[in-house]
Amino acid sequence: MSETVFAQQWLGKATSSRARFLGYLTAVAVIVTLPLVFNDTYWRTNLTVCAINVLLAIGLDFILGYAGQLNLGHSAFYGLGAYVSTLLIVKLAVPFWLAFVAGVAFAGLAGTFLSLFAVRLRGHYLAIASLGFAVIVHQILLNWISLTQGPLGIYGIAPPPALVVDGTVIADFRNLTAFFYLVAGFALLSFLLLSQLVRSPVGETLTAIREDEVSAASLGINAAAWKVFAFGVGSAIAGAAGCFYASFVGTLVPDAFFITEAFNILAMVIVGGMGTLIGPVFGAVLLTILPEVLRGLGDLRLVVYGAALTFVVLFIPGGMAQAANAVGERLWRRRSA
Amino acid sequence: MSATADGAAGEPLLRTQELQKNFGGVKAVSEISFDVPMGAIFAVIGPNGAGKSTLINLISGVYRPDAGSLSFDGVDLSTMPAHLRVRFGIARTFQKIRLFRQLTALDNVIAGFHVHHKIPAWQYLVHGAAFTADRRRCRDQAMQLLEFVGMSGRAHVPAGSLSYGEQRMLELARALATKPRLLLIDEPAAGLNAAEVDGLLDRIRSLRHGGTTVILVEHNMDLVMNVADRIMVMEYGRRLFEGTPAEVQKNPAVIAAYLGGELL
Amino acid sequence: MTTTIVLQQAINGIVLGSLYVLVALGLTLIYGVLVQINFAHADFVTLGAFAAYFFMHLVGLGYIPSIAVALIVGAAMGWLINASIFTPLRRKNNELLPLIATIGVSVMMQNLMLAWFGPIPYAFETEFSRHVIRFAGIFVSWQNVIIIVVSALTIALLYVFMKFTFLGKALRAVSQDRETAGLMGINPNFLIMLTFVIASALAGMGGAMLAPVLVLTPFAGTSVIVKAFAIVIIGGFGNVEGTILAGLIVGLIESYTTQFLNPGLIDIVVFALLLLMLAIRPTGLISERREENV
Repeated sequence: MSETVFAQQWLGKATSSRARFLGYLTAVAVIVTLPLVFNDTYWRTNLTVCAINVLLAIGLDFILGYAGQLNLGHSAFYGLGAYVSTLLIVKLAVPFWLAFVAGVAFAGLAGTFLSLFAVRLRGHYLAIASLGFAVIVHQILLNWISLTQGPLGIYGIAPPPALVVDGTVIADFRNLTAFFYLVAGFALLSFLLLSQLVRSPVGETLTAIREDEVSAASLGINAAAWKVFAFGVGSAIAGAAGCFYASFVGTLVPDAFFITEAFNILAMVIVGGMGTLIGPVFGAVLLTILPEVLRGLGDLRLVVYGAALTFVVLFIPGGMAQAANAVGERLWRRRSA
Repeated sequence: MSATADGAAGEPLLRTQELQKNFGGVKAVSEISFDVPMGAIFAVIGPNGAGKSTLINLISGVYRPDAGSLSFDGVDLSTMPAHLRVRFGIARTFQKIRLFRQLTALDNVIAGFHVHHKIPAWQYLVHGAAFTADRRRCRDQAMQLLEFVGMSGRAHVPAGSLSYGEQRMLELARALATKPRLLLIDEPAAGLNAAEVDGLLDRIRSLRHGGTTVILVEHNMDLVMNVADRIMVMEYGRRLFEGTPAEVQKNPAVIAAYLGGELL
Repeated sequence: MTTTIVLQQAINGIVLGSLYVLVALGLTLIYGVLVQINFAHADFVTLGAFAAYFFMHLVGLGYIPSIAVALIVGAAMGWLINASIFTPLRRKNNELLPLIATIGVSVMMQNLMLAWFGPIPYAFETEFSRHVIRFAGIFVSWQNVIIIVVSALTIALLYVFMKFTFLGKALRAVSQDRETAGLMGINPNFLIMLTFVIASALAGMGGAMLAPVLVLTPFAGTSVIVKAFAIVIIGGFGNVEGTILAGLIVGLIESYTTQFLNPGLIDIVVFALLLLMLAIRPTGLISERREENV
């Protein structure tokens, strides 16, 4: 997979801080404009779903693309974040943002628990352990009926409280646009922090673990501790996505967090280009929008996820990031020729 | 007990006592005791399967010994995990090259600075002056190390695309980035041509002048004869003989093993 | 009364367990030879089940020939996935890429089947479902007798093939040491292809027999694959005897959990066992530890 390296350089390290600043400005501009362009309910809903999926994808990418740990159970952290925050709000009347913090923390702790397996297991074994973990979480949500109401689900979950300063309402999250700004803003902030992190020595450390653990240890890297860290961060972000999802959709059923959801997130990361942060963002957007565009095909549209995943692994293992890199390089060469 | 260091070099930096490691009933390393004096170039030679690499793995912490002990500058290492030993100043290269193949040569070396970063925790998220200074320092020092191994022109090539000889040199540079007091070099000459071997020996000597103690594991006896201060000969996991190069060349047991043809 | 229930559930558990063994053996065979996982393996089970269903209903030759059809469909899928996914990815020498690619194949297959067959479960009744043998208060349908006999025969046949035929020995040689097979004068690529065909034929055939027991929907594979994973891990990846033992154990756990606890707890119990196993003994029930060679 040496292709991903080049993508990483072109899209990550080689870009100057001015180019990055411009990139973030563009991102803010795009986020602000999008709901104004897509002004019907249907597309505004999809925009927020995109933002939630971006959160899920960059969280998984941090674990999979950087630390190299094949986590097939990302849906579990997503679900735990959603259910823990919602149950705190519904059953104990905890204020939204406090429940949000609790949901994020709980998902992070669950990730830390799973990482203890990652410390001992490698490759396929970890993949199956994480899959097993996701199955167990889904089954618990399904069967602990007294707490989660099982397959019937929880209904009528309120959106986050309106943001009020000095008696004036700044943002009312019953409004789709405001909700999109909230989630997209949070996703942008998460992206910014992760990007700072992977361009610091932490980036080299995680990549070193991904490439060769024995070698990493010979340089003083405590692989176990860093795996715990990567899982903790990645799963906490998934937990945040879960909290937003619950309050956005207003309904929670366990099947939203079945293992197929983990595969969808995996597809977003792989199609976008694992090991780059920007790739999975576009992967998430593409794989959220594409099935909507293909709605006319009925159930066949869901084949897209599988086909995209297989096709990318076989032909462009660096994903969209690699493809963009190749195009960029060709343009550059043509210009300098 | 092992023979004491021969005067010139002073206190032992590394001391092993009755070190033992078994793999499913096979004694890969058996009752090995030796001292490595500070500032020495200590060579370990022996045929394939003599336990040389296992010894390196025991010293660097990849394996835990089944019995015996080893101490480094007075600190007991026996149960210390590999990554902590680096902080005490032990670094190594690998017999079978283990670079981070997707990272560039430069980034491989920069990864070696892991235990030497001086960045306040919050600056990992908000990059400030200390962060920038640390990054620049790592980059400059990594370039110097690449220059030292003669690879400054290859800094931005992914490690996986380098030639075999370059990969060996890059592993050396990466190990040096940890700023070791004791450097373990495992069969560095394997796959190198004569000119590359000469360049390697020069660099090992200049490392010693810089104050680094070196343990050099080699298959090829001729190579270590003119660089090592002391040589330990291993066979079947045991110590066959230990002494100066001159003593090794005269020792009947070693000669017998040589005439047996295996050590060549 | 209770003993009858215990016995009855033991039989149900063994029926289920021997089917899981068929499916898990395929995964284990492939792992033994290639150290790779085919995630779409269980979707071959589903496809085998649908193939048997439609063959039985459209051609009307009865249940036994339809098992053979499912077997052939499975074998064809095995050849196809090896040629299209595993062979091209082999030169990349990455343990996780084929797993990810076959997750994609699995998602594709499930949704294609969804588009064709719809989400509503199919009732898979065979001419043997309703004929029941009664013995000391225990009920055994002819269907279950067929399942036990056919899977036991298949497993025995596979065992004889692996242990006593030249090809079987070559297969085992490859799984232990890649180079020996070359020395035996057999093209390793042929052996790998053969492994996929055999493993997937077992899956297809297992599908035809699981279909009457299972809720037959396009997504049936997912619940089977996660259990098959649990079985191969508990039994020790690549270990045939361990897989058989673990498959029967999981079948029994399933039937007893259904009887005495709650069917919703099956996956939780099985996977708690899996995680426990991974935590204390990742190499499986019957196996020795290996240390990494540096």
